[in-house]
Amino acid sequence: MEQFYTKSEQIQNIIKGLTLTKTLFVSSIIIGEAHTGKKTLVRTLFPETVAVSGNNQKEVEAALEEHNELIITDFEKLNNQNGLQFDNKRIIAIANHPGNRETIDKLFAFIYTLPPLRDRMEDARYMRSHFFQEACSVLMADEHSFSLENITMDLTHNNQSLKKSVYEQVIYRNMKSKEIEKVLYAYLLEHLDGNNAYKEYLALYEKPLIEAGLQKFGSQLQLSQVLGINRNTLRKKIYEYHIN
Amino acid sequence: MNTISIDFKSFVEWDNSPFILFNHLGKILYLNNAAELLFGHVTPKEIYDIALSYAPQNFGYKTTTLSLNYDAFSFYAITVGYENEEQIAIRLYNKPRIKQNIILQKEKLITTDINILLEANIALFKIKNKNHLELFTDQDIPAFKIDQNNFSKLLRKVLDTFRVSDSIFIELKLLIGEHIIIAGKKESIVQLKIEANERDHDVDEEIAALTNNTHIACSLKKHSIRLDIPLIH
Repeated sequence: MEQFYTKSEQIQNIIKGLTLTKTLFVSSIIIGEAHTGKKTLVRTLFPETVAVSGNNQKEVEAALEEHNELIITDFEKLNNQNGLQFDNKRIIAIANHPGNRETIDKLFAFIYTLPPLRDRMEDARYMRSHFFQEACSVLMADEHSFSLENITMDLTHNNQSLKKSVYEQVIYRNMKSKEIEKVLYAYLLEHLDGNNAYKEYLALYEKPLIEAGLQKFGSQLQLSQVLGINRNTLRKKIYEYHIN
Repeated sequence: MNTISIDFKSFVEWDNSPFILFNHLGKILYLNNAAELLFGHVTPKEIYDIALSYAPQNFGYKTTTLSLNYDAFSFYAITVGYENEEQIAIRLYNKPRIKQNIILQKEKLITTDINILLEANIALFKIKNKNHLELFTDQDIPAFKIDQNNFSKLLRKVLDTFRVSDSIFIELKLLIGEHIIIAGKKESIVQLKIEANERDHDVDEEIAALTNNTHIACSLKKHSIRLDIPLIH
């Protein structure tokens, strides 16, 4: 069974509303950005209910004829929303955006808005920890090798971008030089071409080297000593690679 | 015909229009059944003040045409009369009502615990609003038949009009002694009253439209909304 985690008061009120109306024949819609957990939330509360996608108008119409209780996902993709008949049915719809507000207002008794992950940082931190453990287990990485707090969160596309960023960081931090070599090998094998490739692809090594060095050692003077190159050479490369 | 021997009191008593007799201090000496119902919606003081304002200059009776509205009660005229300095009487004339022929679509109605619907709508309201909210409800109101979806839409819109207020007071109760006749059957009434210090009036027409063709009576006031919902079994 799917589980939905939240500390957000707003979402707890959505859960309360949906739980209270579980036995009633009312129409509800949850509107929120993609990958905020709408489907997981509905599936947690209505695990047995038939679900159809708004991508298929005919399927939705047929399901409405057949069932008194129905989940309609991607509701915004339905063409003929005005023609739908929800009387005496328990409808739970999910939409990434409201579309025509007037139609939504006419069709649904309960209109919920699920806030994006960036507006509920406590939930975001929980999901980071969840994805982190998942990533460590899937990628067979040692979860004690680095701190969870150091993993930056990309919340631009809610759970999707968060999960991707956590997995990437777990991969990067567990890579040995042999694996980095393999990655570069695969990449170069695919892209190597032209007549200036040596210089072009040297950036793959030099740019992160200087960026990480500056971050770690602070000053150009110190970095040039660590790298064992002339300060002017370093400054020239910083300029070339547009490094701040 | 000798009318002195006829006791007219019961005719007044059962008159459909309210009749009230006050003493010179505004105390009620007599009121008929219709007036008793009216006083559920207006104070005796207000009616007494109207009687004084529209009283004839000398002893006698004076009828004035005016429009008075108290919730569901509407009057088009009043007669004020007095025969001595001690007593003054007022009769309010009911505005004729067009009998609404609303067909009861029982197949659309589902037996419902109204408290659940109300609670779910409050949860929905709380998602967007932080207003202080007080709820006084009677958990013993029996389940009755209602169009769950439409009633929820109505509740959502009603509650939404209070989003601008600081503090909202919600009361749900069974009205004692008031009934409504629907499809020849006498039904009890559940009253939902929502009051606040402020209220938006943008969607009042939509709210009224949602109660059209239902047996729910809706009273929209400046700071409050009242819904009288028949307890259909």
